[in-house]
Amino acid sequence: MSEATIERAPPRPHLRSDTLGLVIATIALAALGIALPALGASGYIRTLVYYSAFYLALGQAWNIMSGLTGYLSFAHGALSGIGAYGVVIAMNADWPMGASLAVAGGAAVLASLVIGATSLRLRGAAFTFATLFFQELMLLAVRKLPFAGGPGGLVLEQILPEWIAYVGMILLAGVATIGFALIRRSRLGIRVLAIKGDEDAAASIGIAATRLKLILFCVSALLAGLAGAVHALFTASLYPDVAFSVDLSLIALAVPLIGGVATASGPALGALLYVGLREALQLIAPSAHLTILGLLLLVVVLYMRDGIGPTLARLIRRSR
Amino acid sequence: MTAILEARRVAKRFGGVVAVRGVDLTVRQGELLGLFGPNGAGKTTMFNLIAGAFLPDAGQVLLHGRDITREPAWRRARLGIARSFQIVRPFRALTVLENLLAAIPAHGGANDAASALALLRRVGLEARARDAAGDLTLGMLKRLEVARALAVGPRLLLLDEPLAGLAGQEAADLLRTVQALKRRMAIVMVEHNVRLALPVCDRAVVMDAGAVLAEGTPEQIRRDPAVIRAYLGSEAA
Repeated sequence: MSEATIERAPPRPHLRSDTLGLVIATIALAALGIALPALGASGYIRTLVYYSAFYLALGQAWNIMSGLTGYLSFAHGALSGIGAYGVVIAMNADWPMGASLAVAGGAAVLASLVIGATSLRLRGAAFTFATLFFQELMLLAVRKLPFAGGPGGLVLEQILPEWIAYVGMILLAGVATIGFALIRRSRLGIRVLAIKGDEDAAASIGIAATRLKLILFCVSALLAGLAGAVHALFTASLYPDVAFSVDLSLIALAVPLIGGVATASGPALGALLYVGLREALQLIAPSAHLTILGLLLLVVVLYMRDGIGPTLARLIRRSR
Repeated sequence: MTAILEARRVAKRFGGVVAVRGVDLTVRQGELLGLFGPNGAGKTTMFNLIAGAFLPDAGQVLLHGRDITREPAWRRARLGIARSFQIVRPFRALTVLENLLAAIPAHGGANDAASALALLRRVGLEARARDAAGDLTLGMLKRLEVARALAVGPRLLLLDEPLAGLAGQEAADLLRTVQALKRRMAIVMVEHNVRLALPVCDRAVVMDAGAVLAEGTPEQIRRDPAVIRAYLGSEAA
């Protein structure tokens, strides 16, 4: 191509307006969430906001890996559990909170390297089965590990003010959302979506698929681990059957799939829908929320393959 | 002319079927090499062995004298071998521009986009840059695939049946684009449409049953009795 043609081409903005809008909206919503206690919001509302942020952070972590690459993970519950145990064990050993959170994130990343390095070279269901196996293995292992408290679990020995976990989780959810948007917009995001579209064609243009998938899985695991760690600061007590419950993996997966997979705003919609649905069902069928979530997921997968958010956006565009 | 690519006694077997039997092939700088033969001749396997989609059971593949026999496809692309596919394989969820941005080696945001747009202009797709690749027609997708391969910055371009499914004018346009490219790189084109493709080649190789049947200029290939009898028939005679 000639230099002249390159010079005539319009420069590409570094941050497109829709990404910029999402970043501003995320910061504004996070600020509102953090300000809620000062605005007099009740403890109940704060708890709903907290859990929405927790599921958003977890869903966004899943979205970064599975939404962008198409490799479905069932390990995000376990990665979150590793973060939770990591922070509690470190803080109980008198490590400062910052260093303990780093341990939590680092442990989750290490776990993702083990899962990813062994399964991401293979295509198809290998990764999904590896993550499912890992999820169950972690539950069985933590029940047996004495330093993890065995089946009785662990208690965080320090008493922390409630706002730390509340603000921490909102900030983490915001960072995860903005992080997703920036990754999606970046060359890395484009290349990963190319892998999702056609891995052979991606290889033919020089994309090292295994390496990129592993990088994304590590980023995703870091966020899941930190989400679990901050949640451990919120609950202050850990039980293996809860911290490593497959339910958490299902929620991490369902939130983006319902709201809008591979989009930055979809998991936010999915998290709000899930928390709202769960609260509504508390009154009529307290233990049925996962069943309802499963049914909702089924309906979305069958009739709205991109999720509710993108489907609604398409309908609105058509009606104009 | 300098050899860009050399395949030495390359062989590939799938179970009990020998697809390629010890083939030697040389591609020189600035030439357009046609690879012809009927279905099952082994030309697509040979093509995939050069691109790195398959690894050979025996033999060597050299790029500028460097042994790339065991290199995976993505590393060969980074070394300068780009390819298109017989059945177009665009990244349908990405825009036309993003299809190229995925392929361009990263240097810096605005310059990469400018390079991608310049490539799209060259294949006549600049106006569709922001559209989803899945919305393009087959002819446009073929051109997008050529542009995507060029975005890699190849020294060797492999085209797998680029004319398949194209109507007369679209096929002629694509061949003109291909011919214009060979000033800067070597091109290997696997093609079924011998009548259209052979005249634009500098050299041609005809394969049969996994081996090279004939090799030479288009004129030599046209006159080769074995080729005429077995593959080209009266069409090229």
